[in-house]
Amino acid sequence: MSLQNDPFLNISNSINNQYIKEWQASKKKVIGYYCTYIPEELLYAANLLPFRIRATGHEKTELGDILMVRFTCSFVRASLDLALRGGFDFLDGYLICNSCDHTRRMFEIFNMKVFNREGFNKKVPRFYFSVPHIISEEGFSWYWQEIIELKEELETVYNVDITDNSLENSIKVHNENRKLLREIHRLRILENPKLSGAEALQISVANSSIPKDIINQELHRINYKLKESEGIKDLRKRIMLVGSIIDDLKFVNLIENSGALIVSDFLCFGTRNFLDDVQIGGNPLEQISKRVYHRLSCPRMMDDHERRLKFLKDEIKTAKIDGVILQRINNCDLHGCDNMLFEHELKELEIPVLNIDREYIQADTTRLQTRIEAFLEMIK
Amino acid sequence: MKERVIPYKMLLEVVSNSYELVWRIVPEHEMQVLKMGLKNLEKCLIDNIQKAEEGLPIIGYHFACPAEFLHCFDCVPICIEGTSYLLAALLPNGSEKYYDLITHWGHPYHTCSSQKGVMGMVLDDLFKFDVITTPTAPCDNTYASYPFFKYKDIPLVITDMPFIHEEKSYEFYAEQIKIGLSEIGKIIGQEPDFDKMKKSLEIENQSLKLELELFELKKAIPCPLESMINPMSAAAAVFMAGRPEKVDFYENMLALAKKRYKKKESPIEEQIRSIWPYMTIFFDLALCEWLDREIKMSVLLDIFTYNLYNPVDTSSEDKMFNDMARKAMNFPMIKQSIEFYDDFIPEFINITKEFKADCGIFTSHLGCKQFGSIPQLLREALRDELGIPLLIIDIDVGDKRFASIKTVKDKIRMFTKTLL
Ligand code: SF4
Ligand code: SF4
Repeated sequence: MSLQNDPFLNISNSINNQYIKEWQASKKKVIGYYCTYIPEELLYAANLLPFRIRATGHEKTELGDILMVRFTCSFVRASLDLALRGGFDFLDGYLICNSCDHTRRMFEIFNMKVFNREGFNKKVPRFYFSVPHIISEEGFSWYWQEIIELKEELETVYNVDITDNSLENSIKVHNENRKLLREIHRLRILENPKLSGAEALQISVANSSIPKDIINQELHRINYKLKESEGIKDLRKRIMLVGSIIDDLKFVNLIENSGALIVSDFLCFGTRNFLDDVQIGGNPLEQISKRVYHRLSCPRMMDDHERRLKFLKDEIKTAKIDGVILQRINNCDLHGCDNMLFEHELKELEIPVLNIDREYIQADTTRLQTRIEAFLEMIK
Repeated sequence: MKERVIPYKMLLEVVSNSYELVWRIVPEHEMQVLKMGLKNLEKCLIDNIQKAEEGLPIIGYHFACPAEFLHCFDCVPICIEGTSYLLAALLPNGSEKYYDLITHWGHPYHTCSSQKGVMGMVLDDLFKFDVITTPTAPCDNTYASYPFFKYKDIPLVITDMPFIHEEKSYEFYAEQIKIGLSEIGKIIGQEPDFDKMKKSLEIENQSLKLELELFELKKAIPCPLESMINPMSAAAAVFMAGRPEKVDFYENMLALAKKRYKKKESPIEEQIRSIWPYMTIFFDLALCEWLDREIKMSVLLDIFTYNLYNPVDTSSEDKMFNDMARKAMNFPMIKQSIEFYDDFIPEFINITKEFKADCGIFTSHLGCKQFGSIPQLLREALRDELGIPLLIIDIDVGDKRFASIKTVKDKIRMFTKTLL
């Protein structure tokens, strides 16, 4: 495969990386965030590097288990565990919204325990804002006001001036980024896809961990390299992967090694991030807020299931999907219930669908593999 | 037309039977909380069933949208969560059949049983809702589970509740309630009658006054009321909201507590005073009796009885809506869900001190991920600041198959041994 051993993709395998270090060496700050309802453009315009909290490769939850109830999603417990072991000590700030109950509660432990540990003396400011759970005019006004207040808070805490100019520049960089990701996605859904699902995931994860101007150059290079490549020619079932967060390769590899190719997805680190751009013109902060608020939602948006289903249906056609794998991390109610409805709706359309639960730290590989292989065999 | 609220008929049957049973068997001065609770519950159920039979619209609502808000309509308000759990409390096999129906349909096992019950009943065609309404709170289960009703073609009216306690949030949510009520009105073909709603809110205010007095009396040593007051208060909050039965219930409870307080009497030979920062258990009401009689442990309060909000100012429509929003956002569970625990922990430590509690018991409910960080943080805070232990029990408060009543009792028994 064309991207195999591309050193750039290795960024997705670790938490900290050389670009973050260089960024901080030039006296600039890194802000950890969770999750897609955060306006990255705003942070970037404030000269803050947005780093999306994840736990890639971390295989422990023991410390997290002490502080969070065992019904908490294992991704969150693993992230917390990593944090308690110092994995996020490099952060200069922490920003979340009310994404899901699990991450919101992790946030207060970050504050009380992680950044309050004995021997850890750095002051790490925390930021929170409330995102509506439905899409409406009033909801947008609320969201925009929250973003205006967040901007003011960032300016005060980090002593920066976030000008319209810097916001416009940030919008350009981020729009370019999304355009490049869309181009790569188009190469992914070709008859002979130019990249695997695993590679697409690596690109997406790396994309959330380094400055956008740098990754844009890399994405140009990757795009070129992929276009020149032959593409994947062996006959494999074309799968769309949907559901809870996936930020490392194990689960994706399990599917792809079972005789499938994940040619599209509906995941937090995936297609949802690059479908739409910020409109140019008008008040830049309002435009940024509009994109984030009205973007194709995840199940935290309570009244938007139909739009999510429509995306799935359209993508199944466009990417010539043979079957859909719905998955949830145990205890993830949001994706669990959205998947429940998808399962019924897709079956009504006679689209092959497999609905599974799993843990963030992959333990029951044999059970999952058996189910996935049986599903792939069943697809005509 | 007659078969639109079958689970309410099931409820009425068990409530009436249980009431008759305790009334006949138990000596007159015993189990007064349960008797009074069942009597008032029975009245509310009879009234609602009759209204359903008259053809009034059935409005399903999330407990975080207090029922008195819906009293601006001629309707039968049915609480989704309350119905699942009252059946769990009173039917021999609880709501299990309905939990299983919806679980087999694909609802994740870890999602809250309080919604599962009614979801299963809808699959079984037992309810004919005209509309269902919910706020976007308090938990993932709510926003995850309610779209199911829309899938089943039941109109769903959602009011968006901000996840932060600020003045602007109350203003925003007040507007959302107005919009929501007007949408419901359109669906059921009625104009909201705010005068009627005002009367209901005033009844609630009256009841709140009594509850606050009762709250103070329960600080007495020994506690003058049975532990059963906690689950019965939860039932009153849900099934009697905005109705005279609620006032009647609390008037009787207050009179009883006052009488006992004066005589320094208690129905419990109180040896241990416990506080339950979260809920008591719904799948087995007899647990409260067991705690009182066998363990001699009084349950001074749980989340439904310490979480008291301010009365609603009904002097103008604007004030009324603003205070309704304030009330909804400070309702038990909702309050804690939409704020951070920086406030909750010190507040709870103060309550523990005021009530002179010896210990705490936290039922860590499978559904409530929005409480995911609190049990351990609270345990540490109670230990460090007051030297009081907190027992944490992993449980599904509405489904005995997760942690059985035996397991719960064993844990409590072991825990109390370390206290005495
Ligand atoms: S996987 Fe689900 S529970 Fe876990 S962080 Fe994501 S949305 Fe929350
Ligand atoms: S707050 Fe807890 S008990 Fe209430 S619906 Fe949500 S999960 Fe269930």
